[in-house]
Amino acid sequence: MKKTKNMILEAVASIFIIAMVIFTLYPVTYTVIGSFKTNSELTLGGSFLPKVWHPENYVQAFIQADFIKYTWNSVTLSISVMALATLTASLAGFVFARRDFAGKRFWLTLYTSLMFIALGSVTLYPIYNLLTTFHLNKSMLGLILALVSGQASNVLLTMGFVKGIPKELDEAAIIDGCSLYGIFFRIILPLIKPIIAVVALFAFRHAWNDYITTLVMTISLPRLRTLTVAVVQLKYAVNAAAEWHIMLAGASIAILPIIIVYAFCHKQFIGGLTLGAVKG
Amino acid sequence: MHQSNIISASKRKRIILDNLRSYSMLLPNLILFLAFSVYPVIWTLRFVFYRYGGYGASVPKFVGFDNLIRVFGDQIYWKAVRNTFVYAGAKILFIIPAAFFLALLLNRKRKGNGQLQSIIFMPTIMSSAVMGLVFYLLFNVYNGQINRYLMDWNIISGPINWLGKDHAMKTLVITAVWGGVGNYMVYFIAGLQQISQEALESARIDGAGRLQTLWFVTIPMLGPILKIILMLSITAAFSDINTVMVLTEGGPTNATMVMALYGYQFFFPVSAGTSITPQYGYGAAVSTVSALIAGIVTVLYLILSRKMDDVY
Repeated sequence: MKKTKNMILEAVASIFIIAMVIFTLYPVTYTVIGSFKTNSELTLGGSFLPKVWHPENYVQAFIQADFIKYTWNSVTLSISVMALATLTASLAGFVFARRDFAGKRFWLTLYTSLMFIALGSVTLYPIYNLLTTFHLNKSMLGLILALVSGQASNVLLTMGFVKGIPKELDEAAIIDGCSLYGIFFRIILPLIKPIIAVVALFAFRHAWNDYITTLVMTISLPRLRTLTVAVVQLKYAVNAAAEWHIMLAGASIAILPIIIVYAFCHKQFIGGLTLGAVKG
Repeated sequence: MHQSNIISASKRKRIILDNLRSYSMLLPNLILFLAFSVYPVIWTLRFVFYRYGGYGASVPKFVGFDNLIRVFGDQIYWKAVRNTFVYAGAKILFIIPAAFFLALLLNRKRKGNGQLQSIIFMPTIMSSAVMGLVFYLLFNVYNGQINRYLMDWNIISGPINWLGKDHAMKTLVITAVWGGVGNYMVYFIAGLQQISQEALESARIDGAGRLQTLWFVTIPMLGPILKIILMLSITAAFSDINTVMVLTEGGPTNATMVMALYGYQFFFPVSAGTSITPQYGYGAAVSTVSALIAGIVTVLYLILSRKMDDVY
């Protein structure tokens, strides 16, 4: 009696998991497999796999739809944002965790309280104006800065992690004549690698996937668009209805790199999420 | 006397140098933070009280509470507020139980569960805008794959207009659940891993069945973390904008217009196909009221969940 009840529970559980896995994977496989179909196969219906595989869809996307340029933009933007966000956030996190200085409490309160003000994408307008004032709206640099944007969560994340490292290590280094920067780069940085990896991955993903900020900052500069923005803009193309295969090839170009990164670093992605939220 | 002055002077110098050293490390982040996080908030709060943008208002003009008064009489805005609540409510209603059961099942030490977790989490690393476009194709009325499957399996007789007035909100919620369930699953797994194994063990020894253990031990012990997860899901649902923007553009006829997008479209066009006359002042007012509404909901939730603590 109890055994059959357990078996039924197990069966229901398995069906639920299988359904959720199919639900999760279907849109992704549709994108990747569909990117090898012809437009009429996609819009008129056909088998799950393409009758004939059409890798030339990618040639068309890369060359005619200019995706070589957008890929290059995405790569340079994401790597720059990753490097700058990681460096600035870890320096600030270190200073907040280890040093006493004038105004520390004020800045820390400001960082924390700003996380609770959710004005949303409206703030993009003053940011755009600010970049224009400093003549940064005509180059990639402005977009990089807007996406790094001194994010409070990264600073607080590294601050918490540095606090968990014994202070004696710093003190020993000071006695040995180590400077402040020496302590940071030689002692602390090697020890906070796990959190650096999380901040770096999150920053990379943020820049790679971002739509609205990049869209707004490149509104008058289409040549600086990233893959994400360029793919979505295909929806508004004049002959969009005839270009589903190009949209899917573009979407695949936009999602496959991050999926590959995820395949290698899924532990950091998943672990980093709970570092910031549940424990913090 | 003279000597102590010298000491205090050199001490002061040392303190200043010390501060400078600290600030040299803080400044790169602080400048970006002030420019791109603090300044835009101040700008927005200021222009709530200005007429700026729109016809004949290229120069900001102070108008006091006019914008706010207009917000309260704006029918479409309150429709957007209602839509936001419907969207957030539906998303949370589906995503939390699904995430919870996934966590419960995939947290067991069993071969392949780690991989399954990674699969379920995968949508959270992909661009919601790009996937919004893919869902737009999938849910297309005549050419979309979803209607084709449903008709092939004889579940429906004719195509459903998934992005039409009656169904667009459902489609939006399905897309949001797809993109977010892995996120909340991971939160729940973190929570489950903090429950002491002894409590579960002793419940089992006392003869509690699996469902009983779940109901009387696991769920109550998850309480504090469940509260945090619910709060995160509320704030996230209120600020979702990417998917709406790409999938439905808030339409048709504002059927899926949410607060976040309604504010945005006073500053920038929602899609390349539309043009707008920007109304910065009014947009700032709309966004500020929206942020306040989201804040009030969060605070009410916190009060309510504390009351619940007293009851149990």
